[in-house]
Amino acid sequence: MRGSRSLAIGILGMCWLVGFTGFSADAQTRRDINPPLATCDLTPDTIADPKDPSKRIAQPVTPALLTSGQPCEEVVSTDGLLPNDPLGNLQRGFDFYSWLTFIAVSSPADGKTIGQGPRPGGDALTEWESLKNYRPLADVMLPGGAKPTWGTRIVPNACKKLDGPGKTVMQVSEEAWNQPFKTGPLIDQSGHYALFDILMNEPMFEFILDNELYSVAGQRQFSHEIVFPEGINPDQSKKPPDAGRMGAVMLKTSWRVLDPVKDKGLIAKFHTADTLIYFPGPPRTAAGPICVEKTLGLVGIHIGHKTAGSPQWVWSTFEQIDNAPDESSVAPGPSSPRHNFFNAACKDCPVNETPPQPWDPPASLQFRSDFRSQVVRKKDLPQEVVDEVTDLNRQFRAILKGTVWENYELITTQWPSDAKNPIDPTGVPAPTYLANTTLETYSQGTTPLASSSCMACHGNATTQHIPATASDFTYILEKAQ
Amino acid sequence: MTAFTRRNMLSGAAATAATAVSSVTLPEPAAADAAEAMELFVTLSAAITGIEPTTLAPAVDPVQIKRQYFAQASTDAAFSQLLKITKDAPSPAAAAEQVMNNPDPAIKYLGRSIILAWYTGCWYSPATLQSQPPVNPDTVISAAAYTQGWMWRVGQAHPMGYSEWRFGYWAADPPPLDAFIGKHA
Repeated sequence: MRGSRSLAIGILGMCWLVGFTGFSADAQTRRDINPPLATCDLTPDTIADPKDPSKRIAQPVTPALLTSGQPCEEVVSTDGLLPNDPLGNLQRGFDFYSWLTFIAVSSPADGKTIGQGPRPGGDALTEWESLKNYRPLADVMLPGGAKPTWGTRIVPNACKKLDGPGKTVMQVSEEAWNQPFKTGPLIDQSGHYALFDILMNEPMFEFILDNELYSVAGQRQFSHEIVFPEGINPDQSKKPPDAGRMGAVMLKTSWRVLDPVKDKGLIAKFHTADTLIYFPGPPRTAAGPICVEKTLGLVGIHIGHKTAGSPQWVWSTFEQIDNAPDESSVAPGPSSPRHNFFNAACKDCPVNETPPQPWDPPASLQFRSDFRSQVVRKKDLPQEVVDEVTDLNRQFRAILKGTVWENYELITTQWPSDAKNPIDPTGVPAPTYLANTTLETYSQGTTPLASSSCMACHGNATTQHIPATASDFTYILEKAQ
Repeated sequence: MTAFTRRNMLSGAAATAATAVSSVTLPEPAAADAAEAMELFVTLSAAITGIEPTTLAPAVDPVQIKRQYFAQASTDAAFSQLLKITKDAPSPAAAAEQVMNNPDPAIKYLGRSIILAWYTGCWYSPATLQSQPPVNPDTVISAAAYTQGWMWRVGQAHPMGYSEWRFGYWAADPPPLDAFIGKHA
């Protein structure tokens, strides 16, 4: 069944490519933009109970999962640890998938095991920071709609004198400091702006490249439905098995500035990046052109993965554990734990409020006033999900103990509970709402349309075609020039 | 190793649909009693709204709007009698008949309140329904309830101010009625 479906998609895909790009000898030899993989991680969250194979028991969370690879597609089931709770069992399966994915993409780019890098806490340049695997949005949607190339490192002239081995480059645009729907910047307790970056993997990049979606002009000529490549597990019922494919993956990361001296005691709790931050100047940024070098600590990451089972994508979100307290557990006082975006000593600070204008960051990334974001995590997840994720986080953080990565936690995973629902193109997201306190700080909650839901929001994303067309759950195409 | 994918997951979901209403975790007094009460509530709700139970309350249901309607309806003193009628009736249709034509107005009007809850997301209490029309609802049960009202689906539409449909949907005909409400007479 899957084989025939894949074949049908493949044939259709070929016809479609031929149809709008013009067939040529080059097209025949064009490499597969979503190539077959022999390394899809198929580990499910439960296994058959050896004592009673009709029952499921939890997959042991052992260090073997640190090297089991990246899932090409979720492996989930309505059956699981929870009796008569298909929704809960599916949620746990997706959350397990999220942890496997997080570990795989956060492993060192040089192929070592996660947590065994050369920096304190075993930190290292990650898979997703390597241009071999991911590409920042700013390097894809180039000025003038220029054609991007995979793997080429772009260092702005202003940054070249600061460049060196292991350094990453971040280009500042409004998306780098302003939250979705322009709801405002996030200011940490040291008074620095939080910074955001968007990246995509090679299959997603190649789809954009092949279809010339990197420019406004290309998008306006593209009259077909946008369908990014999907991840799919190998079909082991076939002999030989059909290979798996990774499909499109996009990431959104959030960072706080760390001072190597003042924050010396904190740095070991973060994955860090020595980053050259480029302000291109007006009209994109008020400051610049200028390049500054900062040590950034990872405080959040979204991972969006399009899969065959979840054409609305699977949305995983992780945070650094010290970001903000739960709304229900805020206990002001000097002995309360330190947080990146919450000051327990401030009893009168209004929570989850945007900073005063103006918002454009200066090159110092220091906010202009003494405003500090006072962030709490609002309760937008069902308690069953919170309990399940808390248990899974405990197990996965245990196998990461002693590394910087033990300081990260899954918030949860949003997935389509009814992907083929004929009247809901978002596939009835489960859970209904999901927010990362660093990336959707000001849209947490449970208000329909207003509160953060990955799929409900991204379902509204469009191309720059006239008239606009749906862009397959990504806002990346709106950034084409 | 057995690999579970969404494809065989879906067949699993279908298999568990029959026990869907017992999948809800409810607070005390007893989970089993609460599960049975919810099952009876969904059975009666389906019978009086005309919407299939598995459409009204899917086996895999992240919204769980039935919990809110159950909680709202259970505040009425006659609620337990509705569940008993449903349990004792030979069929869901017979239960609907006994509730909606019951000589006791407390039962009959609570049945109407439940219908209106499912269709409008609003709570019209039995007392309100017995007042002279036109009547206004006592409350919108919740923001989620507003988005889940079946009247929007029956109209092949979406609630004002809320839509999951993709950009440009307004330029096309809506899907057929079956897509919105499943099997219907």
